[in-house]
Amino acid sequence: MRKVVAPDYTVFEHVKRHVEAVKTAIREAIIPESVTCSYPKERRKMPASFRGYLIFDPDRCISCFGCAFICPANAIRMKEAEDGRYYPTIDYGKCIFCHFCLDSCPEGALKPTKIHDVAYRDLDRMLTLTEEMIEPPEIIREDKRYVEYVIDGRDLHLRRVDGEDELLVDLPPPSKVERIASCIDPESCTGCRICEEVCEHGVIRSSVEEDGVRMVIDSERCTGCGLCVKECSMRVLRLVRR
Amino acid sequence: MTGTVEALINLMMADQVAIPLLDPILNILYGIPLLGHLLALILWKPLFAALICPGFATLGGLLMLLPWIERKLVARIQWRIGPHEILPQMGGVIQLLADSLRFLFQEVIVHRDAKQPYFLQFPVLSFIPALLPLLFIPAGTIIAIESPYGAQIVLAMVTLFPLFILGLGWASNSRFAYIGTVREAFVYFGYEIALIVSAFAMIVLYGTSDPLAISGMQQVPGIILNPVAALAFFIASAMATSRLPFEIPEADQELAGGPHVEYSGILFGLIYVISYEKVYILSGLMTLLFLGGGSGPEIRVLGDLSGLIWFILKTLLVMIALIALRAIYPRYRLDQALRIGWNPVFTLSTIAVGVSLMEVLLL
Amino acid sequence: MGGLLEWKVRAPDKPMKDRLYFDGLKANVIDTGLCSRCLTCACICPVDGIRVVDDKVDFPDREERCRDCGACIRVCPRFDYRPKYGMGDYLEFTAARSKRFSGQDGGMVTEIMISAIEMGMIDRGLFVGRDERWRPQVFHLHDSSQLEVGTLSGTKYTFATVLKELKKAVLLTRNGVGVVGTPCIVSGVRKLQMEFPLFRDRVRLVIGLFCTENFHYDELMSFLEKKGIKPEMLIKTDITKGRFIATMVDGEVKFKVKELEEILPSGCSVCTDFTAVESDVSVGSVGSEPGFSTVVVRGKSAEEVIAYIREKGYAEFGEGDPGQLDFLIDYKVGRFYVKTKDDKD
Repeated sequence: MRKVVAPDYTVFEHVKRHVEAVKTAIREAIIPESVTCSYPKERRKMPASFRGYLIFDPDRCISCFGCAFICPANAIRMKEAEDGRYYPTIDYGKCIFCHFCLDSCPEGALKPTKIHDVAYRDLDRMLTLTEEMIEPPEIIREDKRYVEYVIDGRDLHLRRVDGEDELLVDLPPPSKVERIASCIDPESCTGCRICEEVCEHGVIRSSVEEDGVRMVIDSERCTGCGLCVKECSMRVLRLVRR
Repeated sequence: MTGTVEALINLMMADQVAIPLLDPILNILYGIPLLGHLLALILWKPLFAALICPGFATLGGLLMLLPWIERKLVARIQWRIGPHEILPQMGGVIQLLADSLRFLFQEVIVHRDAKQPYFLQFPVLSFIPALLPLLFIPAGTIIAIESPYGAQIVLAMVTLFPLFILGLGWASNSRFAYIGTVREAFVYFGYEIALIVSAFAMIVLYGTSDPLAISGMQQVPGIILNPVAALAFFIASAMATSRLPFEIPEADQELAGGPHVEYSGILFGLIYVISYEKVYILSGLMTLLFLGGGSGPEIRVLGDLSGLIWFILKTLLVMIALIALRAIYPRYRLDQALRIGWNPVFTLSTIAVGVSLMEVLLL
Repeated sequence: MGGLLEWKVRAPDKPMKDRLYFDGLKANVIDTGLCSRCLTCACICPVDGIRVVDDKVDFPDREERCRDCGACIRVCPRFDYRPKYGMGDYLEFTAARSKRFSGQDGGMVTEIMISAIEMGMIDRGLFVGRDERWRPQVFHLHDSSQLEVGTLSGTKYTFATVLKELKKAVLLTRNGVGVVGTPCIVSGVRKLQMEFPLFRDRVRLVIGLFCTENFHYDELMSFLEKKGIKPEMLIKTDITKGRFIATMVDGEVKFKVKELEEILPSGCSVCTDFTAVESDVSVGSVGSEPGFSTVVVRGKSAEEVIAYIREKGYAEFGEGDPGQLDFLIDYKVGRFYVKTKDDKD
């Protein structure tokens, strides 16, 4: 551990530094710099990877429950929809905006936005149902320009740019380790073919032969969503690196 | 009976605030019976000094304005915006009006452990040391009470402030208030001697302590005659106001307000302005001792108001300098503040006395 | 770790053409009265559809849900039934009394299971406990502190759904699983292990219990109530010297075991296995002095556990007499012949 010692200045150096401090204060009082963004009249420009509210695409969702399982704040609950499938609902009262759900989604059904300022009338309404997640949340925008922070040498400067910042981003789904389902214990397989039924992409196929069932995984088309692994009653399937 | 009234009116008319610019209007107004008398009463110099300037009205106006000036100035230095949302066209100038309205309508909570009568009285009583010194500080030629010992009286009154703050903390009867009170006492010991000795140096230099005589003597302002005393007095004033960087008794960070941690509502509002009152009085004293009081290029048409305006302007300047310190320096610890008070500042003030003596002997 | 992308599952022959496998199982085992309700089929069923309906194993909504994989037929110990009987092979025949746990006789089932957990051989054991109405419930035992409940040990004489829990335990375990069960449950576990490597690797210890018969809960309880025994008051049940002894809070009720034959399940009347021939270790009260449990060590893993108990001195060992078992072994085999003769008539 290093002990911090006060620098050993002479009286002259002390005076010089005091004068410097006062000079800086006077300069800034006369020609001030500003780093305050006057939200909501202007908005800070967020990076495209900003973790804001989520949009949900039910057509891509495979009801794998991955988002609900990984949510560290237990904000995501799966609700049964009319078509008998389960879709996520997010309680933004609990959400910590970590976007683990988005990263874990195997099919890219959850999309990020840069929206972060949604007002609710009460706590109950913070529970956002699946239908409300399809469209981005409604916010009132008063901003006519956006603000960027530029670091120039030692100082931080504010740059104001006219025009609205686009809050909806079109990012490709996050890259992840490519994995495919495969069978680690073929002898323990009961041949129930549940995996074939749950697979959204028809990757697992079975063919009934005379003395048994032949199971085939099409490695080219497997997305590694892990639905079959989760559903296998004997746990003979596992995700392996491609 | 009529003779006495006549004599009184004559006395008042003999000592009126002379404003040549307004003379025609005033002459008409004097003619109107009751209004004329009232006007003559107000424009009577001692009463004008006590009520309008540098007394009650100016103090009130400054208390409304100073916090805003402080917040806006410090915000500028620190690259922020400051008060903005209330009346944005004027830069939020009525912020303190809004604040004081809030204080006014907030409930005054007197907690169970407090010494109730003192708890309620001390914030109100603390206006005594704020208002009394103003009677002895001249704004130009306008002064409420002329006294050959004016400067000493002002100093004595100013050093009464800590007594009331100690009273506040004691009546609060709470841990934080207690610690804050003890710190107030500590800091008081730190600055008091330096403040008095540096003022004493100037009195030695001028050879008089009559405020009017002091301001009249300064063809060359005192700050040039004895800059050492001015520096010591300035630092001691900064400590006396117990504001940043010497915000040790109140210490929002550790003590959540120190002596006034238990106060709320309008009582808190009264305590909140104590430090600004101190700033005003000490700036006025500094103007008187070092900046020549109301002396300055005379504007003939304004008459007595000319000196008054110069006085207010100089006082404002000193106040802004005192306030801006909080944006320049970081906060000192209690031991550091005591060391500053006893070591450099006390030494400086002692040296200042020597400088004054030498000047008196040599010139 | 790689895996196969293509594999083949051997399917058994269909007992009934163009029908589900379970229909075949129902016709061949359940409806013929062979079924012992060990629920091995329920354990392996991938859709978890097989359960007990009206004291019979059934798959009520099989038309919709059954995947027709044939696993139930592959694991059923009574399908293609080869009755076991006699003493079977054993490494050691002894009697013991646990110093740590009290049980029906010597508390040795609990002792063996806890010792195996302490050794690290298994990390969970499946135990049958009961509620206050003597309904059997399956417990996952992790350490001895769970035994403070007090309702885990002791014979219940009713069927328990041990094997339904077995798959859950096998999928959750890190080291291995121990099972306690009647001879039919032991046979079911052995068949599971034969068919599926998953169970072969993870079920490490199978403790069999000496068993003459086991009853359906509802039938036993209504029978006991006829005898004036209230299940809430019951402390312990036991069968000694041909008599059923029910110890209650306020006294004992005794009656002849023969009287129980009227509620004897058909699956038990065809069973000839008294000593759980296929287990790793069989435990029972017959064959040793009162207060001791008879322990028949058959497998390697059980031998290790017994050696561990001896080393630590957790139990007091005595002399066992294999001859005392002959009567009940013969009784069970004899009952089988009577039953099959009745069927032929």
